[in-house]
Amino acid sequence: MATPVLICDDSNMARKQCARSLPDGWPVDISFATNGEEGVEAIKEGKAELLLLDLNMPVMDGYEVLEAIRAQDLETMVVVISGDIQPEARSRVKQLGAIDFIKKPVDKEKLTGMLLDYGIIDAELMKAANTEADEPAKAAEPKSEVTAAPRQAVTEDTTITELDPQLRDCLQELSNVAMGQAGDMLARLLKVFVELPIPNVNLIEVSELCMAFASVEDFDETSGVCQGFIGSGISGEALLILNDSSFGDMAALLNYKGQLDDSAELEVLMDISNILVGAYLKGLAEQLDLHFSRGAPVVLGQHCDVTQLLQTKNQAWSRTLAIELSYAIEDYPIKCDLLLFFTEDSIPHLAHHASYLLDD
Amino acid sequence: MIEQDDQLKEFYWYIDILQNVDVGLAVLDREYNIQLWNGFMENHSGHHPNSTKDKNLFELFPEIDKARFRSKAESVFLLQSSAFSSWEQRPYLFKFKTYRPITCTAPHMYQNTTIIPLVSTTGEVNHICVIVYDVTEEAMYKLRQENPQAISA
Repeated sequence: MATPVLICDDSNMARKQCARSLPDGWPVDISFATNGEEGVEAIKEGKAELLLLDLNMPVMDGYEVLEAIRAQDLETMVVVISGDIQPEARSRVKQLGAIDFIKKPVDKEKLTGMLLDYGIIDAELMKAANTEADEPAKAAEPKSEVTAAPRQAVTEDTTITELDPQLRDCLQELSNVAMGQAGDMLARLLKVFVELPIPNVNLIEVSELCMAFASVEDFDETSGVCQGFIGSGISGEALLILNDSSFGDMAALLNYKGQLDDSAELEVLMDISNILVGAYLKGLAEQLDLHFSRGAPVVLGQHCDVTQLLQTKNQAWSRTLAIELSYAIEDYPIKCDLLLFFTEDSIPHLAHHASYLLDD
Repeated sequence: MIEQDDQLKEFYWYIDILQNVDVGLAVLDREYNIQLWNGFMENHSGHHPNSTKDKNLFELFPEIDKARFRSKAESVFLLQSSAFSSWEQRPYLFKFKTYRPITCTAPHMYQNTTIIPLVSTTGEVNHICVIVYDVTEEAMYKLRQENPQAISA
């Protein structure tokens, strides 16, 4: 009897990674859901004896799914697989009834070990299944409503008009994991719970940088710092923008003593930027197996309109690949945005490095 | 033994620091073939150390003015004394992108370069080290002061 397994994640890449991480020779019937709402429907249809659940999803997130399972008394065992690695996230999902938590990207051995520990798979049966000839024990290809996009060879095309949806999905998922690591650092430093957003990946006109960022446009006054990075043909800038009204709370959380003048605010800005940019780039580089040099951070401006911060007159680039991450801190009116801009000529290199991850 | 361990540890620290320092380091032999290429050079040029090892500097980087660079470097080999070049003389030796490609208006990285002699155990100078400093911020500031119209940032 094949075990019905449901993988609920908004990223196509993450769903595939997850499906590949299931133990070999385990007879399963895999279904996919792209958000919590679809997930809950699938559970009700009996497709999820085991549910592998992501936390950060649009429409209905993982926490809400866990709540719905509890409220409606649905029959399923939930393992949370998330890039949000804050200890608080782990304990919250366990309180909500998840049996365990595995960090992204999923480690096959860890998942197998965990399934064995909980008796979801049987060591003896697994051994028997694995020794049986090359019988396709796993329910062949996952039959699903989500059809995997055909894999394309990475083309060294210099004029990129649109971002390949598969690359966008991949970058979103890589960012999700990198952002989770950065969020975890921030949470540990400030001793708070950091609310992680869904990364926004877009190809935008450089001249429209500021308009492209919905979440930063309504800030009255902001301060920003930026830092360049380069490596393996990939170059760009990381910008950290902090709402000026957030400084008081941020300084208090960082235990800054004394008056909060311009230079103290700059200190706060630099500290936060160092943590978030550093952790994000480290996470991204590790996943793509490359290394970045980072330049010294440069203050873009203090107490100014975001359009002033993002003002650019560099004519060399017409388009940039932008990743927007808006961090919020629970119970505090703090908002800070981490923006990553990659030069247009970095995109083929990013695609090349990402293709190793997309390979089955 | 402990002293040796300490020296070894220090040696590895030096290697790590040279690899990661935000300054370009390249060692060249008498024929201008690249012998060492640190992380800064690798990341900014896009050339991996494996692909630069024993490669001729001028073939790999045609933007370098061969005659000028040679005359400068030959003096280092001969006099066993460092030579300097400022961004004001030549904006750059290696044509690298600026560190901040989006918010910085510079068309390329401005560089100061220093060439130092590497003296062998026998007292000869068969190798030189080219040190590349990124001075884009400084250059842009000065250029703005001199001609605010030309470069608006």
